[in-house]
Amino acid sequence: QDFHNVTVRLGLWLNRGGRVLLAVSLWGSLALGQQYTSLGSQPILCGSIPGLVPKQLRFCRNYIEIMPSVAEGVKLGIQECQHQFRGRRWNCTTIDDSLAIFGPVLDKATRESAFVHAIASAGVAFAVTRSCAEGTSTICGCDSHHKGPPGDGWKWGGCSEDADFGVLVSREFADARENRPDARSAMNRHNNEAGRTTILDHMHLKCKCHGLSGSCEVKTCWWAQPDFRAIGDYLKDKYDSASEMVVEKHRESRGWVETLRAKYALFKPPTERDLVYYENSPNFCEPNPETGSFGTRDRMCNVTSHGIDGCDLLCCGRGHNTRTEKRKEKCHCIFHWCCYVSCQECVRIYDVHTCK
Amino acid sequence: MAGAIIENMSTKKLCIVGGILLIFQVIAFLVGGLIAPSPTTAVPYVSVKCIDVRKNHHKTKWLIPWGPNQCEKIRDLDEAMSRQIEANDIVFAVHIPLPTKEMSPWFQFILVILQLDIAFKKNNEIKENAEITLDVSLAYRDDLFSEWKEMAHAVETRKLKCTFASPKTKEHEGRHYDCDVLPFMEIGTVAHKFYLINIRLPVNERKLINVGIGEIRDVRLVGIHQNGGFTKVWFAMKTFLTPSIFIIMVWYWRRITMMTRAPVLLEKVIFALGISMTFINIPVEWFSIGFDWTWMLLFGDIRQGIFYAMLLSFWIIFCGEHMMDQNERNRLSGYWKQVGPIAVGAFCLFIFDMCERGVQLKNPFYSIWTTDVGTELAMAFIIVAGICLCLYFLFLCFMVFQVFRNISGKQSSLPAMSKARRLHYEGLIFRFKFLMLITLACAAMTIIFFIVSQVTEGHWKWGDFEVQVNSAFFTGIYGMWNLYVFALMFLYAPSHKNYGEDQSNGDVGVSSGEALQLTTTITHVDGPTEVYKLSRKEAQE
Repeated sequence: QDFHNVTVRLGLWLNRGGRVLLAVSLWGSLALGQQYTSLGSQPILCGSIPGLVPKQLRFCRNYIEIMPSVAEGVKLGIQECQHQFRGRRWNCTTIDDSLAIFGPVLDKATRESAFVHAIASAGVAFAVTRSCAEGTSTICGCDSHHKGPPGDGWKWGGCSEDADFGVLVSREFADARENRPDARSAMNRHNNEAGRTTILDHMHLKCKCHGLSGSCEVKTCWWAQPDFRAIGDYLKDKYDSASEMVVEKHRESRGWVETLRAKYALFKPPTERDLVYYENSPNFCEPNPETGSFGTRDRMCNVTSHGIDGCDLLCCGRGHNTRTEKRKEKCHCIFHWCCYVSCQECVRIYDVHTCK
Repeated sequence: MAGAIIENMSTKKLCIVGGILLIFQVIAFLVGGLIAPSPTTAVPYVSVKCIDVRKNHHKTKWLIPWGPNQCEKIRDLDEAMSRQIEANDIVFAVHIPLPTKEMSPWFQFILVILQLDIAFKKNNEIKENAEITLDVSLAYRDDLFSEWKEMAHAVETRKLKCTFASPKTKEHEGRHYDCDVLPFMEIGTVAHKFYLINIRLPVNERKLINVGIGEIRDVRLVGIHQNGGFTKVWFAMKTFLTPSIFIIMVWYWRRITMMTRAPVLLEKVIFALGISMTFINIPVEWFSIGFDWTWMLLFGDIRQGIFYAMLLSFWIIFCGEHMMDQNERNRLSGYWKQVGPIAVGAFCLFIFDMCERGVQLKNPFYSIWTTDVGTELAMAFIIVAGICLCLYFLFLCFMVFQVFRNISGKQSSLPAMSKARRLHYEGLIFRFKFLMLITLACAAMTIIFFIVSQVTEGHWKWGDFEVQVNSAFFTGIYGMWNLYVFALMFLYAPSHKNYGEDQSNGDVGVSSGEALQLTTTITHVDGPTEVYKLSRKEAQE
């Protein structure tokens, strides 16, 4: 197996309304990306997910119940990645619109890889925690770490689901294949852990006073999960300030072991919350199947912006085309909290700028 | 009240009594810290978005978020939008507790709070003073297969208090508002094993119901209940304390009735304090295990309130009776200025509690804070109670100051007094200072522990060894005030010894007559009945 070709591969199922079950291998190379369709009513077959290593397969079979949340978490992570990188040269593109396959971008140990690993492992922890609070899975944290007959610990001392179980699942599953002694595994492990640590760091304590006449004589607190956008923002900052590393080889009893060391001794060494990488990113300006770059041709750009989403930077100095477009749009909408919007239709004229 | 036990007790005996009480105090803390679990548990729930697929909603149908017969779910509301599902058909379902667990009467109460995840959308912002209308219903069942039975149903409104930290621009769409948690439900007994909450957010454009409340992504609930283990430890403690306080109370009253004189005010107040302590102690909560008595929570509040009012009154009267000026008090009406605020404050809090927990007996979803009038009313009650408390403490501090001033005045003239008179004053001063000391110690302990339990994490860990600070606070402080009342009744009970008897050299004659005379003018007749005195003399011989 080519270690560098496959990074982390998680099964991703999108089980929507019982129509189609789509199983896609995530973060695999293009060649391994497969699509499966089958009936939604069928149970998930762990064996049918491509690219799982034996440890992951075992995990999948033991915890089949939470696998949909794992998949949901990966999806959440990718969506957040696409949101955070929406105006940039690399915009977290996935092939086939299936949210799943990044192509060879992640084969290199770049900042982008670091970010995707971190956000996806954070997403898994997030989604699993959430599904535990929904009650859709029965194997969440509480029962596992209390001894004695089931239910007794709960009746005696209570137990509330927090992020620990989600983090545990994420660690077990996503890190399962990162056990090699090479630099890439070390980097992935570090970045996965950074994503999970971010989840734990962003849990915030909320409290309620309910003593005599509502006084704070009795106060109960719980940990609340943040908006996932906050996680995305934070990891995006970490992406911008990611630490460049160099690979060091050591001779150990089990053979050669590669470890990472900060490249610049002048800077602070990365903490467990920082993202690390050791290869430079391609510039993503021109399409290049080798690096997985799609290029920025035909990408829409913002002519008034001087930032990375501005036409100058996004188009890599190639200039841009402008065309006028008439769009029918919904306007003067009245929203209801859900599911129903009454709008008028307006026609608006836009200037659309795309990169040459 | 002259000649209390505390004055006539030798220092050695006093130390022994103090030591024993201290041991009990330490036990009370340890019971909470080591045996009991944390007092309460909060379980976060995320509601499952179910679709009510039936054509008409005449009959209530219960939508279950998971398990057998679970409802048809949607993942997010975009899905509902694309499938053209109406708002009224979406039901947020929460099952309490989570799978594989069940509730128990030992949990005593369930308090549920509501948190909404509302995403910012440029063209669908939360309006100013937005109110959300919830159609909520609560059902229960006791096994996993029977039908759900309705417990309560109500249409409630809650005010949205949300802020948006980022600028309200297009880039920040999808970010969540930071909304205050809202009170949702409170039930005073947990008589059933499983509870189900169904929430609908009906839309009525004409009546402007649920319009302009933003894009609600999720409805989260947090269920808070008392831990079963804590309840058991608490009940055990109450069951142990009730007879202890009751016995000393009976003993105390017997001593008082044995005297020739009628009991003075201070003795009555101490007795009343004992009664209110016993009233709190009586473990009527045992009944909540077998019966569905929803008023237990309210009853508990009332009992606590009575005790606090009693304790505060006691302090005032104790100070007053040790004033050592020539004023004749000994009547409750003499203290109306100081006891008045306590009564008013306690009454305000009682009314407030009745408005909140009292109404919740009828409608568990009710909260006084949800309406403007209610909030103002509640605030008014609380502010009045707060003012009363401040007023009270001002009076108390002033009285303590007066007593100390009188003490220093008396102390300078003590050597010049006759022996009996001196002993009388020395007794008064000692009694006062002693109570002052232990009261301050108790109050300081309460405050320190309160602060510690507020700022720390609730439990401290050293390896495998875990101490529940919050539980230790509750049991320790509860035990402490029990011991306080106990000590008070024991040490301030009338002594059978006379002042003179303390002087061991048979110097009895120093003037019990003079003492009697003096005490009648200053405070009141002391000492045991003549019969008792005689029998005691005989016994001595």
